[in-house]
Amino acid sequence: MFIHVSEVSFGYKKGEEILKAISLTLRQNQFTVIRGDNGSGKTTLGKLLVGILKPDSGSIFIDGRKTSQMSLGEIGKQIGYLFQEPERQIFTSTVGEELSLSLELNNEKDSSQQDRVTELLELFQLLPLINQFPFFLSRGEKQRLAMASILVNQPKFLVLDEPTTGLDQVRRRVLSELLLAQRAKGVGMAVITHDEEFINRLADRIIVLEGGVIKSDTFTKA
Amino acid sequence: MIPSLRLDPRAKLVIVICISTLAVFLEKLSFMLALLVATLLVAWLFQLHSSRSIGRIKKVLSVIIFIAMLQSLFTNAGTPLLSIGHITIISTYGLQRGVGVLLRISIIVLSAALLTTSSSRDIVQGLIQWKMPYELAFMVSIGIRFLPLLAEEIQDTFVALQLRGVELKKIPMKRKIKTYSYLLMPMVSSVLIKGRELSMAMELRAFRAYPERSSLRTLKMKHMDYAFILLSLSLTSAVFYIYMHY
Repeated sequence: MFIHVSEVSFGYKKGEEILKAISLTLRQNQFTVIRGDNGSGKTTLGKLLVGILKPDSGSIFIDGRKTSQMSLGEIGKQIGYLFQEPERQIFTSTVGEELSLSLELNNEKDSSQQDRVTELLELFQLLPLINQFPFFLSRGEKQRLAMASILVNQPKFLVLDEPTTGLDQVRRRVLSELLLAQRAKGVGMAVITHDEEFINRLADRIIVLEGGVIKSDTFTKA
Repeated sequence: MIPSLRLDPRAKLVIVICISTLAVFLEKLSFMLALLVATLLVAWLFQLHSSRSIGRIKKVLSVIIFIAMLQSLFTNAGTPLLSIGHITIISTYGLQRGVGVLLRISIIVLSAALLTTSSSRDIVQGLIQWKMPYELAFMVSIGIRFLPLLAEEIQDTFVALQLRGVELKKIPMKRKIKTYSYLLMPMVSSVLIKGRELSMAMELRAFRAYPERSSLRTLKMKHMDYAFILLSLSLTSAVFYIYMHY
């Protein structure tokens, strides 16, 4: 197991629990879909998994380490997180710089890493946009840029919040293929989505949240 | 426990203006401390959650300490408390200025929080009835409406930056400052994009289609509101008088 959630409860206000004593285990090589109605706690669970929020009770372990004892930077080296609003994770003035940012921040700018950036720019069809100002891109383009940027760090696990929002059919298919390729490399995924086609195509496991508890947990592929 | 005071937003505005004017004007620590106690009392009267405001002040505590150190470094006044060679790191004067800044910020933050006990719609209505042009009053309400959203965005952006694998506690100060500079781009862009979208939405709803606007909701001042306005102005004038003459 890569992420272990043990009896986690969380509420934004005292006495109002969004998640109630949730326990689950997420593995690498597995594509887990988290679904549920609005307000069921999907995004909250995603933010808890990457340590953005701290549980009120219970614990979360990443690769055996408690998230409460890890910094966000340490978690970020292992898990990539895609926000619902991609513009919140775009920091530079050109698409090209955005992809190189993680390497610059972590002093890893050698030629092999630069090759990885170019490869991702090609994969996510961002090469024609390399000198564009990211904030003027379409929602779908920003989504692809944010995705590519988190993959630069070569995370072991991805937590994606509504990754298909703003993507057309073709781009959804491209994203599906990219995620399948990541899974083949051993990268685990927890994806928060309502997209039926996306779920049917990719999900190995579907967790349904309702009223802050896990209503069902089904493995779709053996 | 006393029931929460329900004052007209204009009365609250006068109280906030009086308190913050005093906070900016007063320099003696004893007076500022007394003003902080008075502000806490007002906050208690309005059943304001002071703990939230104090939490906000805690976040900028390190900045205030930094200001105190700068004051010590660039002024020769006061007795040195901590020195390295001939360079004074902390002096009594710097400490005094630092505490002054802390008190001043605390008073302003606490008093401004009084306005959160009225809805932004009521505050705007109050300003309009004070003959403020609607466009300006609307800008104030937009500011109030978007502040929490902006705060949430800044926090998310900060988190996103760290999730790129940056361990802020472990990197040297020079790199840390450069890393923080990356927060500027998403913050400024987000404000500009929001402003553009908002202006478009407003135009589509025929904002300023007519030169005069009417309002279904109107506010009416009560005796209690006048009493509080009078009390605030009198107390502020009295404090000014005492401060200038003694």
